[in-house]
Amino acid sequence: MRMTVRRLGGWAVRITVISTAVLIIQPPNRLTAQDSQFGIRGLGTPGKWESVRARATGGAFAPFDALSPLLDASLADVRRMTAGVTGSTSWRSVSAGSTNASLRASRYPALVIAGPLSRRIVVGGGFATYLDRTFGIVTHDTINLRGVPQPITDEIRSDGAISDLRLALAARVQDRLAVGVGIHRITGSTRVVATRRFDDSTTYRNSTSRDEVAYGGNGGSASALLDLTSDVRVAGWVRSDGKLRADVRGRTVAEDDLPLGFGGGVRWRLGEQAAFAGALAWRKWAGAGPYSHDTFDWSLGAELGSPVSPLRVGVRRGQLAFGVGKTPTEFGVAVGLGKQFSGGRGRLDFGLERLQRKGDGLTERVWTFLLGLTVRP
Amino acid sequence: MKRLALLLLLCACTDRVLAPGVCPGFCPGGTIGIKDTILTDVIQRDSAFRGYVQAWQAEAMPIADVPGVVDSRAIFLMGAIPPRVVAKSGDTTTVPIAVDSARLRVVVVRRDPSSVNLRLKLYRLPITIDSTSTFAQLASAFSAPVVDSVNVSALLARPPISDTATLRIWGDTIRTDSAGHTLQISRSDSSLIVYFGLDTTRARFVVADSGKVAYGVRVAADVRASAALGATDVFDRGPLIRWFYHYTVTATPDSVAHTSIQRGANFDSFVFDPPTPPLDNNLAVGGVPSARSLLRVAMPAFMHDSIDVVRATVVLVPVAPVQGAPGDSFSVIARPVLTDIGAKSPLSTTSTLFGRTTIHIGAADTVRIELSDLVRAWALDTSATTTFMLGQVPEAASYTEIRFYSSRTPAFRPALHVTYVKRFPFGSP
Repeated sequence: MRMTVRRLGGWAVRITVISTAVLIIQPPNRLTAQDSQFGIRGLGTPGKWESVRARATGGAFAPFDALSPLLDASLADVRRMTAGVTGSTSWRSVSAGSTNASLRASRYPALVIAGPLSRRIVVGGGFATYLDRTFGIVTHDTINLRGVPQPITDEIRSDGAISDLRLALAARVQDRLAVGVGIHRITGSTRVVATRRFDDSTTYRNSTSRDEVAYGGNGGSASALLDLTSDVRVAGWVRSDGKLRADVRGRTVAEDDLPLGFGGGVRWRLGEQAAFAGALAWRKWAGAGPYSHDTFDWSLGAELGSPVSPLRVGVRRGQLAFGVGKTPTEFGVAVGLGKQFSGGRGRLDFGLERLQRKGDGLTERVWTFLLGLTVRP
Repeated sequence: MKRLALLLLLCACTDRVLAPGVCPGFCPGGTIGIKDTILTDVIQRDSAFRGYVQAWQAEAMPIADVPGVVDSRAIFLMGAIPPRVVAKSGDTTTVPIAVDSARLRVVVVRRDPSSVNLRLKLYRLPITIDSTSTFAQLASAFSAPVVDSVNVSALLARPPISDTATLRIWGDTIRTDSAGHTLQISRSDSSLIVYFGLDTTRARFVVADSGKVAYGVRVAADVRASAALGATDVFDRGPLIRWFYHYTVTATPDSVAHTSIQRGANFDSFVFDPPTPPLDNNLAVGGVPSARSLLRVAMPAFMHDSIDVVRATVVLVPVAPVQGAPGDSFSVIARPVLTDIGAKSPLSTTSTLFGRTTIHIGAADTVRIELSDLVRAWALDTSATTTFMLGQVPEAASYTEIRFYSSRTPAFRPALHVTYVKRFPFGSP
């Protein structure tokens, strides 16, 4: 058994190192998170800045989890070089009136690497999904061309995302207080294809136009963690992002405001075997173009059992930033497991999340399987 | 380890992101816009040229008799045969041949199925016929008594003969009449193979001419007297004559040898009246010698970089309905030129870029030729020569010609009707 664990740990380290290298070299547009039909009309689907551990608790532990890219101050808890990567596969069913579709996507939504510079200062960084812009839609219609009705099929595909590239610094200024700041480069691109097909392919040729849209923006964040008691910790964060610029072939085609966000959380440890947390977040998305809404999210979660192999549960409720009409809502429950190996040098986290998103005329139900790998070489 | 591999595989599943669009609420802000417009001034510097293919180079010989419209007649000169033969192998002396009969074959490659009592009439012509022979020059020969006449419609109505002896000799079923005519239907293209059985009075073997004979064919019918005979330019479709003869074997005076020899046409063509009128300001296509029209297209800049052409049609207005036998038709093809050097511009052989349409006799409708692939190719390649040539297919195989108004007639000038998709507004929410 020990041999197996050791072997597994060795492979895990190798996989993590290779994955980290690949993810750093690879353009961040493939580091996409969960997509949603609600984001098609807007800038995209905002990502969840959470590790698998935090996601399995509904996001409630994200402010206190160093490997969740939400708070910079939480990096202060990293005592040695640590890297974590999150992967997910989601199965999504979309219902809009009589229209139903089943979709599937696999993503690597977050990567965090952090390590101490000194006893009190930790530097970290990585990628997280800021806005997912992967989608594909098909519509059928009949248009009148040269006096004759022509059935057509339009297909618009977008593949890519806008990622949040973060460089953060966290410092434990007092034994009970940690603060962090981060600078964010919001960057990414999407490959977009619009195709029109004619049923009468003898007379009309299909039309396909392709382009690549490059996105860019900047942001900054600040946060703090305060231990009120040895068991109770509170967190607060604020983040401000500038404008998101969209360029096609070197020409700026759109510029939209990105939100100011702030939030907080509280965690209560009940001995070594149980911890509970709750988190809140507000984001002012309403200035980010048409059909955008300010959002408020809350979550509650628990981590139970031994730190070596804890059980996690959580619930979340929130709003979606984009959607026609009333602000769409999201409700989710999650459960997960963690398993340390190689004497704490590595950890595998599993999570299963069920989300339901509702808006005017559309309902989405999502199952997401999450896999996280954390390595402390 | 297996479990880890399974999990990694699970996470690496193929994405399926395509869903039915619920628009406009859950679709991208932009739409695929389409526009349809007629560009009336992009076809410029158009010209017509004549002389590409002559009647004697054509793939077929049209025959028609439409009073007041056209009278077209096929003419052909059969090859010579030796008037003497070597009677015995290895001997140097020759003996004269004595012709017994001949069988002339013509192939009807096109006919109007609705013709009633379609008849082919055979005339003897002087063996001096050549490419300079005209309708008027041969009028007297065609006024002479007919050599033979076959009622094709009546032959077709007869039951086919399919006994084993016939099949062995002819290779297929035949239809015959009491006058010695035979008709076979080609298995490959349903053309009609007609044989005239000719005795020595109708197929005169003149030693001085080495057996060369020339014939002309007219067509007659109660309704729609129009057809076309195959020419030697197409394999096994030209006229053939088989001479049946005998000669005396000198070594054995009592013995007579019977044999035959076949010859094809040395020359075939057709003459018709009225002749094709000379070129004018308009764009002529077809006729004999064949005419082609060169049309140059000034592609607007927006067609190169901001749109995607999904359909392009050349719109041509005929000057007048095409004259000819009712029920006939012919094809006009638009081919891109590789280099624009005027009348002798080399034509592209990329058939996917060709446009084609069928012209019906008597129709005065506007002619439209689809050139979507060609215009799309021009839109992608700014260095391409944006010129195309209109020609008849096959060329010079018909007396028919169509004329379109050129750019010199502003009200009816050629135009390009394009339907295009505008660039999708990527990047906007």
